Amino acid sequence: MNRQWNARRFRLALGLIAALLSPWQDAAAAEAGSDLIARGRHLFFNETFAGNGRTCGTCHPAENNFTLDAAYIARLPASHPLFVAEFQPALKQGFEHPRLMREFGLIRENLDGFDDLDNRFVMRAVPHVLATATSVRSPAGPRTGWSGDGAPGDGSLRAFATGAVIQHFTRSLQRVPGVDFRLPTDAELDALEAYTLSLGRQQELALPLPLKGTQARRGQAIFLDNQLGKCNLCHANAGANADFGAGSQGNLSFDTGVENLPDTPASLSGERIPRDDGFGTPGNGQFNTPPLVEAADTPPFFHNNAAQTVEGAVGFYNSVAFNQSPAGRLLASLDAKGVGIDLDSGQVEAVAAFLRVINALENIREGDALLRATSGSGYFAYALNRENLAQAAKEIGDAERALSQAGLHPQAAARLRESSRLAQWAGYLGLFGEPLVQRALAQLDAARAELIGGTTLVTALEQGRQP
Amino acid sequence: MKQSILLAGVLTAFLAIPPLAYGQKAAEQFIPLGQSPGLSGTQTLIGRIEAMDPLSGSVTLTAETGKTGQARVTSATHIWLDRSLLKLGNVRGSMADLIPGRRAEIKFTDANQREAEWVKVELTAP
Repeated sequence: MNRQWNARRFRLALGLIAALLSPWQDAAAAEAGSDLIARGRHLFFNETFAGNGRTCGTCHPAENNFTLDAAYIARLPASHPLFVAEFQPALKQGFEHPRLMREFGLIRENLDGFDDLDNRFVMRAVPHVLATATSVRSPAGPRTGWSGDGAPGDGSLRAFATGAVIQHFTRSLQRVPGVDFRLPTDAELDALEAYTLSLGRQQELALPLPLKGTQARRGQAIFLDNQLGKCNLCHANAGANADFGAGSQGNLSFDTGVENLPDTPASLSGERIPRDDGFGTPGNGQFNTPPLVEAADTPPFFHNNAAQTVEGAVGFYNSVAFNQSPAGRLLASLDAKGVGIDLDSGQVEAVAAFLRVINALENIREGDALLRATSGSGYFAYALNRENLAQAAKEIGDAERALSQAGLHPQAAARLRESSRLAQWAGYLGLFGEPLVQRALAQLDAARAELIGGTTLVTALEQGRQP
Repeated sequence: MKQSILLAGVLTAFLAIPPLAYGQKAAEQFIPLGQSPGLSGTQTLIGRIEAMDPLSGSVTLTAETGKTGQARVTSATHIWLDRSLLKLGNVRGSMADLIPGRRAEIKFTDANQREAEWVKVELTAP
C-alpha cells in the first residue's frame, strides 16, 4: 500500500515537473528551430561545399527573390561563381551554356543522366524557393525542381541539396565526392531544409479577398470562375496546389504544352536545345505547378523562361500550344462549349492585375513583418537590424514595381515608394532610425488600405488553410 | 454543383496514377555507397555480394549483421560503379560487375523488396 502510494506520488511529481518545464521546453524548441533556420541561412549563402565556388544563393539570390533573370545576371561581375563555366577550364564544356544563361537566365541540368553531356541535358529556369512550405507536398511525394523530381536519395526537399551540389557545385565533370566537392552532412541537410521551408508565405490565401481595385477585383473573379479563367482549379487560392472541388490535392504536375510554343526566346536564339520532356525518364511532358502569389516579382515564367511578363504568362493559356496540350484538352472536354481557356485581352490584363496586387500584398506583409521586427526593439538593435531593414526596403520596392509596371493603384505605389525609401534610410541611420521605421510603417499601412478593404492580408492569411 | 462533382471526378481520375519518378535522381550515381540521404541504411540493403545468377538476374547480398537479402536486377535497374575510394568519378556498370565479394548497396523499387531500382558496387582497385 505504502509502496503504491509512493509510486503515485512519484508519478504525480514527475507530471508536475513536466508541466512546469513545458513552457521552457517549448521556448527551447522554438529557439532550436530558429537556430536551425539561422544555420541553414548561413549555409545557403556561404557554404561552397568545397566545390567550384557556388553556393545555393548563387542561383537563388535573396536580393532577386531567390531566382535569376537576365537583367540581374547582367549586373554580376565576370568573376561571379555563376559564370564558372566561363573561367574554369574543367567546366568549359558540358557544364553550363553561358550564352543561354546570360541572355535568358537558363541553367543546364542533366536530369536524364550524365552519360552524354553534349546531347542529354535540359535548359531550365531557376524556380524561386519562396512559399516552399505551401508547395512541396503532393500525393506522389515531394515536388522539388521544375519537374517535381529534383532530388536524389529519398527524393525529399531535404535531399535536394545533395543533388544540387553534385549538379551545380562540382569542380570537374568527373563529379568525385571528396575531390570535386564534399557532400552535405545530415546536419547541414536538416538546416538547409529548415531555412528553405521558412522562406516567404507559410499559408495559403483564402480567396476571394476584398480587393478595392476594379481591374484586380475583376481579375480575381475570372481567376475563380471555373467556367471562364479556370485558374483556381490547379492554382487553388493562387497557390501551387490543385483543388477540383473535393479539397486540396496537393501539388500536381501537368503537361500544359509550354514546350510546344513556337517562339520561346531561347528557341529563337538558334542554339541547339534538346526538348525538355519533364517529369521522369523518359519524361511524360509534365511540370509541376508553381505558386502564383509570388509570380509578379519573380519573372520570367515557366520551366524554360518562355514568358517575360505576368501578362504574357496569363496570355499563354489562350494559346494553341496550351489548348492542344493534354491539360488544355482536358479542360475543353469538361466545358459545355468545348473550350479550354479563351480569355480576351482585357480579361488577360485583369487576371494579371489580380496577380500583381496579391503579390504586392504579400510583399507588404513581408515588409511589415520585417519593419515591426526592428521597431521598438531598442536603439541598440538597429545596428543588428540593418539587414532586416534593407530586406524590408527591397520587399516594399518589389510591391511598388509590381503595381507600377501595369499602372495599378498609383497612389498606393507612391506610398510604397516612400515607405521603401524610409526603410532604406532607417537602415543607414542605424541607432537613430526608429522614427523613420514608424513613418515607413504608416506609409505601408496606408498603401495596403488602398489595395484591400475590410480586412488586412494578415487576417486573410490567418483565415487561410494549411496546405 | 453536378458539373463541379463531375469535374472533380474526371480530374482526380486523370491524375490518380502518378508516374514513376526518376529525374534528378540521376545525381544518385555520384553519391558513394551508404551515403544516400534518407535512403542508405533505412531503405537500402548494404552488404557484400554473396552470389549472382546472371540467368535470373538474382543477386544475393549479406549485410554486416549477417542478414541476407536478395533482389532481381532487371533491364531497368541502374548499376553504378562507385569509384569514390579511388578518387575517380562513378560510372555506369553492368550485371557483369556484380562480382561476389564486392560491397554493394541495393535500392528496391518497392516495399516488397524484390526488384532493384539501382545497385551501387564499390570498387577498391582500378
